Amino acid sequence: MLSVERLTYAHPGQTGSYEFSLTAAPGEITAISGASGSGKSTLLDLIAGFLKPVAGSLTLDGTNLLPLPPEQRPVSLLLQSESLFEHLTATRNVALGLPPETRKPEVSQRVASALAEVGLHTVGDQTASTLSGGQKQRVALARTLLRDRPILLLDEPFSALDDETRGTIRELVRTLTIQHGWHTLLVTHHADDVEALASRRYRLADGRLVEG
Amino acid sequence: MAHPLNTSLPQRPLRVAAGTGLAIAIAALIALVLWAILDAATGATGRPSRIDIPHLLRMTSIQAGLTTVISLAVGMALAWALNRLRFPGRDLIVGLFASAIVTPGMVVAFGMLSIWGRNGWINQTSEALFGVSIGNPAFGLSGILFAHVILDGAFAARIMLARLDAIPQPRLKTGQSLDLTAWQRFSIIDWPALRGTVPGLAAIIFLLAFTSFPIVLLLGGGPANQTLEVAIYAAVRQDFDLVGAVRLALTQIAVCALVISAASALAPIPTSLGPSIAPKWSDRLGASIVQWIVLVLCTIGFVLPLASVLFDGLLNGLGRVLSQPAFWWATLSSLLIGSASALLTLVFALLLAMGRGATANGVARTMLGIPAYAYLAVPAVVLSLGFFLLVRDAGVSTSIAAPFVVVVANSLLALPFAMATLGPPLEAIARTRGKLIRSLGISGWRQFSLIEYPLLGKDIGVMLALAFCFSLGDLGVIALFGTQDFQTLPLMMFRALGAYRTNDAAAIAALLLIGTIVVFVGLPRLIERIAHAVR
Repeated sequence: MLSVERLTYAHPGQTGSYEFSLTAAPGEITAISGASGSGKSTLLDLIAGFLKPVAGSLTLDGTNLLPLPPEQRPVSLLLQSESLFEHLTATRNVALGLPPETRKPEVSQRVASALAEVGLHTVGDQTASTLSGGQKQRVALARTLLRDRPILLLDEPFSALDDETRGTIRELVRTLTIQHGWHTLLVTHHADDVEALASRRYRLADGRLVEG
Repeated sequence: MAHPLNTSLPQRPLRVAAGTGLAIAIAALIALVLWAILDAATGATGRPSRIDIPHLLRMTSIQAGLTTVISLAVGMALAWALNRLRFPGRDLIVGLFASAIVTPGMVVAFGMLSIWGRNGWINQTSEALFGVSIGNPAFGLSGILFAHVILDGAFAARIMLARLDAIPQPRLKTGQSLDLTAWQRFSIIDWPALRGTVPGLAAIIFLLAFTSFPIVLLLGGGPANQTLEVAIYAAVRQDFDLVGAVRLALTQIAVCALVISAASALAPIPTSLGPSIAPKWSDRLGASIVQWIVLVLCTIGFVLPLASVLFDGLLNGLGRVLSQPAFWWATLSSLLIGSASALLTLVFALLLAMGRGATANGVARTMLGIPAYAYLAVPAVVLSLGFFLLVRDAGVSTSIAAPFVVVVANSLLALPFAMATLGPPLEAIARTRGKLIRSLGISGWRQFSLIEYPLLGKDIGVMLALAFCFSLGDLGVIALFGTQDFQTLPLMMFRALGAYRTNDAAAIAALLLIGTIVVFVGLPRLIERIAHAVR
């Protein structure tokens, strides 16, 4: 269980602070909605380790995550854009999910398998810049599969997609979350994303999370 | 619990430490150079110097001020014309003006002589057609200004053109739908985009003109038009007046530091520019005619001296120069020094820019930015003089120290441009990809080879080309350290001119120009292709 308890943060030079509390279960998608600037991305940055809180706790199955730097946290990120390195091929982007010391034959086999799992069999040699928005998100999800981190943070990942692709990627996220037992946190300001995916819902208002 | 801290930038203490170490080393080196100059000034005895520093300061300031005003005006007019006009070969013309930043001053000065000199094309034509000589306008203040404006006006035009090209399309569409006149368009849309570049460009052009060496050396026509740099060179090399040279150097440093302290608050001027795309909105016929006139005049003014260098050099003296062993030795020296300087500049710039990109600490970032100003504060001849004094005081033979000093000095000279080229894209990578890089645990060599190097490919190429070309065309540093056995192509050209071997000088100038353009155009593309192979 991912547990965020009174995780407090104040942006330097700004009055007012955020205080977040939530729980997220494995295999579930927890949706966080709120107006622009309400602090949705700040919450994700705190969980990913890009921001340091002034108080509160963050635990996964009882393990304190706060001392860990971003690269050591059990977290994968999927952003609206910039989730991939555009100059690298899809294969190289996915392979970044594996430890650098992984042997080449194993890398090839596991990358191909991950790309197949997200429904991309043929784009491995294409550079990311040539892929469509939906393909890019699939490649990023394939990398997430290889990283095998139990927390998946999604920051408006469907915003740049057309309706049809949006539905397909949403379904893929749901399937992968259940299959791999991820604690998936979805930040969005689209009500239909929340309706379609969320097992648990939070709304951000006045710097606090309100369940329901 | 820790205080709030933005840690989305990849934290790389080793990079910060390496960059800081280098910044301190460069600062120490500059301090040592300044100390050597100050020590020589205070300890020197002998006959009193007869150099008229106030006169030199006044003349240098007038020349630099006029250069700045005229270059900005010409640059703005040319950028305006290039932004509006579309025609076959436009990319070539834009690329040609972009190459002004690396075109050796000596080559332009020689081109001026070849067009406007006593035996230049204009005089020969005028005498043949009308029996009248127009004198020698290539010499003196007019020639210096013309040569400076050719280089600095073209440089300003390329920077301003980039600003005009970056005007958002919606703004242009709104203006077009309102049917703005050419003047309204300039004042409402163009000027707000341009005015931000003017103070920074003015500071850079003023400093370039204030510290100009080869153009003033060749076209000065006597002490009346000397700059401080040329006076320092003359004091050391011709009059052996070290006291005077040191006083001049200190005056120069004081003025440059003053301009830099004002300029450092201004936005940096990028040196790596994308392709220029002309908008589809053309001005009315009257304005278009003016734009064509501006473009044709500027192109002739820029191309003619360079074309005459190529024409004279390749037709007259090439065979003789190529048969001289000294030429091949000078070429080898130039290529080795250029390559070593470019690589050293790359290492310096990467260490400093990566250090800056890896920390959010304001003090550390300021420290890592300071070395970029080294050259501007301590220009070529002054730096060279400082090294010259250090080497002399250390009892080392100048012929042994020369190659190392020339490489290090040339690297420092190219550093501000290298930092301006690599710094912004490296910081952009940290800013836009920092979270992803960090969350994926990519670091060290993997971060550089997989992410930064491929993304920086063209910028690294531009930086290497700039540094190589600066070194290839440098006369300021080599002028004090060159010997009969150790000379570069610019020094060989200068000596050929001094010995009235004009055809030899023309051939060397032509080869320098070709080499510069080939490297400036080709190297960035080559490095980009190599970098993109990393996929």
